[in-house]
Formats: sequence, structure tokens, C-alpha cells
Amino acid sequence: MRINDRVFGMLMLILAVAYGWQATQFPIPFGGQESVGPETFPIMLSIVLGISSIYLIVRPDPDEKWSPMAMLIELSIVVLALLAFAWAIEPIGFMPAAALIVSFLSWRMGASVTKSLITGVTSSVIIFFLFNNVLELALPLGLLEF
Amino acid sequence: MDTMSLLMQGFSVALTPESIMFAVIGAILGTLIGALPGLGPANGVAILIPLAFSLGLSPTSSLILLTSVYAGAMYGGRISSILLNIPGDEPAMMTCLDGYPMALKGKAAEALAISAIASFIGSFIATIGLVILAPILAKFALRFGPSEYFALFALAFATLGGITGKNQFKTLMAAAIGLMIATVGIDISTGVQRYTFNTLELFEGVDFIIAIVGLFAISELLFFLERHAGDGLKQVAINKLKLSPKDIVKVLPASFRGAVLGFIAGVLPGAGASLGSFISYTLEKRTSDKGEFGKGDPRGVAAPEAGNNGAASGALVPMLTLGVPGSGTTAVLLAMLISLNISPGPMLFQQNADLVWGVIAAMFVGNLVLLLLNIPMVGIFVKLLSIPPKYLMPIVTLIASVGIYSVSHSALDLYFMVGFGVAGYIFRKVDIPLVPIILGMLLGPEMEKSLRHALVLSDGDWGVLLNSGLSIGLWVVAILGLILPIIVGPIVRAKMARSKDAAKEA
Repeated sequence: MRINDRVFGMLMLILAVAYGWQATQFPIPFGGQESVGPETFPIMLSIVLGISSIYLIVRPDPDEKWSPMAMLIELSIVVLALLAFAWAIEPIGFMPAAALIVSFLSWRMGASVTKSLITGVTSSVIIFFLFNNVLELALPLGLLEF
Repeated sequence: MDTMSLLMQGFSVALTPESIMFAVIGAILGTLIGALPGLGPANGVAILIPLAFSLGLSPTSSLILLTSVYAGAMYGGRISSILLNIPGDEPAMMTCLDGYPMALKGKAAEALAISAIASFIGSFIATIGLVILAPILAKFALRFGPSEYFALFALAFATLGGITGKNQFKTLMAAAIGLMIATVGIDISTGVQRYTFNTLELFEGVDFIIAIVGLFAISELLFFLERHAGDGLKQVAINKLKLSPKDIVKVLPASFRGAVLGFIAGVLPGAGASLGSFISYTLEKRTSDKGEFGKGDPRGVAAPEAGNNGAASGALVPMLTLGVPGSGTTAVLLAMLISLNISPGPMLFQQNADLVWGVIAAMFVGNLVLLLLNIPMVGIFVKLLSIPPKYLMPIVTLIASVGIYSVSHSALDLYFMVGFGVAGYIFRKVDIPLVPIILGMLLGPEMEKSLRHALVLSDGDWGVLLNSGLSIGLWVVAILGLILPIIVGPIVRAKMARSKDAAKEA
């Protein structure tokens, strides 16, 4: 199967065209047209990307196998968890958020529940104190602030 | 003798207690980073940049820290090659060939010690090479005008895939994607907004450090999850060290040859550390093999290790003098320089002589530290290596995120980091190399600036790009660098694969 490269090439070709077209729509800079405007370099790039995308569509490499659906769903959940962690640092505080994400990740990588919880809690506490007290980079306390 | 006095001045910077402390910390961290499979040097240095940045270290200290991490990672790569038969990073591959058989014969400690000595010789000789060659190249590069620089940037991208590159169009594509990301934001010279979609956060462009950490570290985490590689691998037990001076003398010639070859491979565009260690190994095999190579010959450990460390220091020459890095890790070091507002290139040697020579002197110091550290303390590193990735990778991810977060205290940066991680995962699935993307983001603004300068000077005549012998020469090399791998690449790759298979059968 040589689908991957074809699909990716197609997507990149669309990107190249959209990017190049957008470049032609830039407003003329204050002070008038120059020999090299803000659009010159982007247009060159869109040509390079366009040519290599077409090559990929015409002569694709063999596919690397994608994981089964279940794994892809799991990876998406991990990505969502990372985003949730990023969001949670400020409202709930660094230590709880970090403990949760590290435990979750190491559990998903195959550690037992207790061991992943221990890893999560100890690493987040150590890193918090390392950053806050030794390196003096304040991390939000969140819920633990009182 | 001018160089000598500058170097002495450098040592006065590098031998302050503060600098030595950073060199030691960097050496330890670097060895760890290099030793852990899956956490290559580029990755490790990338994670540390935001930390160095948010700690407010001075440019000299941060550079000393990161160059010692870089040197340390090259030392560390050999530990997993020898004990696990898995290279910590790509250049350490050739060390597996004789290192692992030696470990199987119960000589793991000797293999580690010999490779540490060879690494030291490799880096030491290559650093001397750097001291001699860099000022000459920097002086020469002063003759470069904007059109030569534009050609040089093109050359950097064209040769980045290296002689062993698989699909040149994918390298080209990756470079274009990186350069495109670099155009996001307000155009510096005209003030026009490009691809910002009127979002305030995009006005200043996309921070390449976030991109580097996302592309490397987060995508690595996803790959670890996918492969169920959380448990780590079985390693060979380590024995008590029995190394006589005679054994060391025996590997010295191999180390010296490897160091020189590695240095040359490191300086040349498109060759890099992998080729450096490969050439060193094959040449050593040809000159001194009596049927022992591939079965645990100490010289087969020394040669590629010296070559790979020599190449690592050699790769700093084009990065410091021209501002054009030749490998992934030097690209990341370049990111560090740019974010410290230091522009590398020929002017660096004039404007920031203190810094450059301080760093070069620190490389000598760092190497000595690494040698001293690596022989007696190798047991500790080996212990840390046995921590399974299922505990380590989540913690590394956490440290990476804290680093990004502490730069600007915004969750948005972390969203971007995760986004780049997903993109990196997809790129790796379709075999798009990540390094050209990073390099594109780093060099994009400079490349566009030199194009603009060249064309403004010539009043819009595109012929200016080919107006000097020098720029024509650079374009020729660039085109050769793009085309040669298509012809020669399969042959070299087949050779590398064959020598690896042969070693496996033996």
C-alpha cells in the first residue's frame, strides 16, 4: 500500500496552494512596492512545497503501518490528557495536575496503578520544590493555596 | 599566535568556578540523556533550553552548559550501544558492532572504559581542529555577501538529508514546511502581517523552542506508548574493570585515525556524525582487521567512538562560523544562540570573541570532566539506565512542559507544544524528517533577509544570486548535495546494512 504518501502529498499540495494564494493577497506595504515584497519569499516556498508534494503523489514510498484503531484512540486520549494538564496547571495548581498526568502516562505505559501513583506524586512534589525553592521559578499552587 | 592568546583568554572564562560547575552539571546531564534510549541529544538539549532560558543564565553559562550536555550525550550514546546493543542515538550505531560482543564476552567494563578514552581522544583532537579551522573559516566567510548567504542556506537544506538520506523530496518538503512556519508573524522589514489570522499570539511568530520540544519530546512519548516499549530492555551485566596500560596503547592509533576522520566528516556539510563513525569503523577494519572485528575487538570500539565524537565537535565549525548547522543537535544549539540574541556567523568571532573562546575552552574542560566522570562513575549511569521508560518518559515529559511553561507562564504555549507533538508523530509516520523543519524555522528569517538584501542591492535583478564565483560554487554543491544521494545513497546504505548484518551473524 502506498496511500500515506499520496494522502499526505495531497494535503501538502492544498497547503502549498492556499499558502501561496494567501501570499498574493498581502496588502501592499507602506512606502510602496519594492523588488522584494512580503510575498516574494512565501511564493517561492509554496512552489518548492508544491513540487515536492506532486512528487510524493506521483512516486510515493511504501507505507509505514498505522496502529490499529484502538491504539489510535488511546493516543488521542493521551493527547487530550496532555491538553487537559496544560489547562489545569493554573486553576488546580501545578502539583495536583502534574501528579495526575504523570500517573496517567506511566499507567498507560504499562506500570501498575500503585507504582504509577507513587511515581506521579513523588515526581510532581520533587519537581515543584526544585523549581519553586531551588531554581526560584514560581509554579502555581492552585488548590493547595491557602 | 593570535589564536593562542584568544584561547588563553577563553580558558580564563572557562576556568571560573561558575563555568566549571556548569560544565560538570552539563556533562552529567548529557551522559544521562545520551544513555537513555529514545532520548537523543537533540531532544535532550531541546528540553534544557527553556530551562536555561527561564533561569536567566548568562549567554556564556548557558552555552557552556549546553555544549557540555552535547558532548556528554555523545559519550552517553555508547553506554546503551555496548550494554543493550541499542544505540542511544544514530551515530552510536557502529559502536554496537564490537561493543556488544565485547560485553557478551564479559568485558563490558573494558569496552566502556576503552570507548570513554576513545571518545575523549576524538573530542580532544576535533576541538583542536575547531580551534585551528574556525577562525580561518570565519575570516573567509566575511567575504560572503547576501547572495552568497542565500546560496549557503540553500546548501544547508540540500545537504541536510546527508549522503544516506532516503527521499530527498521529503527533506525538501520538510524544509519548506519549516520555512513556512517561520514566515508566520509580522514581517520585520515591511510590517505586514503574514498568516497571523489577526490572532495576537501569532504576531511575534511561532516560538521554535516550543516547536522543538513538541516535535521531538512529545512525539517520542507517543511512539513509546504505541510500541508498548515501557518496560525497557535487558542489559548485559557489568564486570569489574581490568584494563592494563598495554590495552590502552593498543587502541590509541585506532582512536587517532578515527578522530581525524570524524572531524572531517563533521565539518563537511551533509556528512555528519553517523557517516563519521561509519567511515572510521570501516577504515579501521580494513587496515587492522585480522578476523577479530565484529567479534569484540577493542579497536572496533575505539575507532567509531572516536569518529563520532570527533564529528560532533567538527559539526560545531560550520554552526559557529557560518551560522549553518550540519546536524539536528547543532541546529538545536543554534536555536539556543538565536534565542539569546547572539547571531552566529563570521561576526561572532569578532563581536563575541569572549563567548566563543570561552565556549571552546569549556569544551576542553568539559571533555576532561567527562573522561574523569565516565571511567569511575560508569556504574551509576548504568544503574540509571535500568529505570524502565514507563517511569522515566512521563517524568521527562513533565520536565519538558515545566520548561516551556516557565518561559512565559501561559497554557497556550503548552497547547502549541502538544500540537507540534501530534504533528511530529504524523510527520514521522510518513517519514518526513524533523530536523529540516526545525532548521527551516531557525534559518527562515535570515534566509529571507539575505534574499531581500541581495535583490535590493541589485534593484530587483534576480541574476544577482549567481553574480560571483563563490555563490555559483555554493549552488553547484547544493545541487550536487540534492542529487548525489539519489544515486550514491542506496549504495552507501546497503554497505552500512551489510556490515551490520555481517556483525550479527558473526
